[in-house]
Amino acid sequence: MNSFEFDFHDLEIDAPSIGRLLGYGEGNLYNVFSDLIRELLGNASRVCSVKAEYRIFHAAEWNDKAKTVTLTGVVFRLNDIVYKQLGKAESIAIFVCTAGPEVEKLARQAMEDGDPLACCIYDIIGSAIAESAARLLHDEVRKAAVLMAKNITNRYSPGYCGWDVSDQYALFALMPDNSCGVRLNDSALMSPEKSVSGMIGIGRDVSFDPYPCSLCHRTECLFGNPRRRQL
Amino acid sequence: MEELLTRIARCVESGKTDKASPYPPDMRGNDGADELTKQALDEGLSPARILDEALIPAMAVVGERFSRKEIYVPQMLMAAKAMNSSMKHLKPFFQSGETKRKGKFIIGTVAGDLHDIGKNLVAMMIEGGGWEIIDLGVDVKTDKFLKAVEDNPGAFVGLSALLTTTMENMKKTVEVLKEKHPSVKVLVGGAPVTMEYCEKIGADFYSPDPQGAVNYLKQFAV
Ligand code: B12
Repeated sequence: MNSFEFDFHDLEIDAPSIGRLLGYGEGNLYNVFSDLIRELLGNASRVCSVKAEYRIFHAAEWNDKAKTVTLTGVVFRLNDIVYKQLGKAESIAIFVCTAGPEVEKLARQAMEDGDPLACCIYDIIGSAIAESAARLLHDEVRKAAVLMAKNITNRYSPGYCGWDVSDQYALFALMPDNSCGVRLNDSALMSPEKSVSGMIGIGRDVSFDPYPCSLCHRTECLFGNPRRRQL
Repeated sequence: MEELLTRIARCVESGKTDKASPYPPDMRGNDGADELTKQALDEGLSPARILDEALIPAMAVVGERFSRKEIYVPQMLMAAKAMNSSMKHLKPFFQSGETKRKGKFIIGTVAGDLHDIGKNLVAMMIEGGGWEIIDLGVDVKTDKFLKAVEDNPGAFVGLSALLTTTMENMKKTVEVLKEKHPSVKVLVGGAPVTMEYCEKIGADFYSPDPQGAVNYLKQFAV
């Protein structure tokens, strides 16, 4: 098990990037909200506890027909897209990462205080932290793979690229209880909400695809259609 | 008088809450929805006119702009905040029964799900459409929806979910609500929900954004 606690500054989240997630470029409107975004980002940075954990499984059993991979007896039902990318991996890293519960609390408090805008900005900040934590975790797995003279794949999450979100149960079965303080409920929802889980393939014959979305036809996803993300 | 209603509407559309609010910059220092509503009531304008001729049309403009992606969530929220600052003066009239709203809308995030930002946006926009909101919160079990429907005859129901797995609980809730109260109208939404899913589970309406729901509800307004 490899556990990390990331420093907020390493997440590389600044006010303009939050502005962009809210839908604004560098124009006039962004300027109107930029002071507020900066202030809330400051508050979030002071309280958040960003954690990540991964575990590598060396004996992956692949089933080309059923498009499944079995890790220490736990079966994952991947779909075509994910199987195609991971299928050549010799080892699999399973990960969980989280922005922690603190920023969610700030969001809830803002709503209770009658400030829905601050609530929404905290919500986006929380999502951005979780996303960045996943990126930093990915870098850690890359470093570990380099030491083994191996490559890594993109990261794939249950619920994305058509992979069923109910595989979250399998994924959590392989992580320690309460990994990074994240729990999975009976409906496969993680709390804290701002958490990301997934798999990364490791091997000599795998590669990182800089344009993974060309494989997928969904239009409403975080990666596939940045405009929709602005909601 | 007319001019006052137009000014309140403009404040709500542009998110001008009160005089002290620096937003939007081009209205800095001007009276906001808060002061103008108070003034309108003092001058004898009826709460019903303020609601029907200023707040509701203004929020409809905001909702349409959001649907067309001409504005984003922050501006929509500033508008909702401005509307709230006006509503606070109207609430005593709703409570006394002197002024009626369009009807009641019960909303909640379904059992097993905690995601509420989308649900809150929908609640704010429907309130802006003139409806009374009964927000049951998150992780709302079917029984709680059922009780709310029984306590509020004629109310409409909105269900929200984040994941395909939690969306399954939407199905259970719709089934029970429809079985016990066939006439109750149920609206569904959230990132994984689609029109096909809405039809499959026997819900009455799906919209990817809040304005769709506001428009749908208009036909039932009392
Ligand atoms: C930001 C985001 C994240 C963030 C934050 C998540 C959070 N819950 O706060 C992070 C990065 C942490 C994340 C994680 C995950 N995510 Co995510 N995420 C998104 C994203 C891009 C936006 C969600 C959002 O906050 N939108 C903004 C709010 C305001 O919108 P909303 O809630 O949808 O509400 C709007 C409408 O839906 C509608 N509406 C909502 N309710 C209602 C109700 C009624 C009655 C009506 C009429 C309308 C309506 O109006 C609202 C305002 O416009 C969506 C994709 C997308 N573009 O929607 C995926 C998405 C929700 N995520 C998805 C998944 C799978 C996950 C993970 C399971 C991935 C993983 N394995 O780690 C986790 C789950 C986290 C958890 N807690 O369990 C899937 C869910 C679908 C599915 N397969 O189940 C989506 C749809 C992406 C996809 N695959 O296309 N995610």
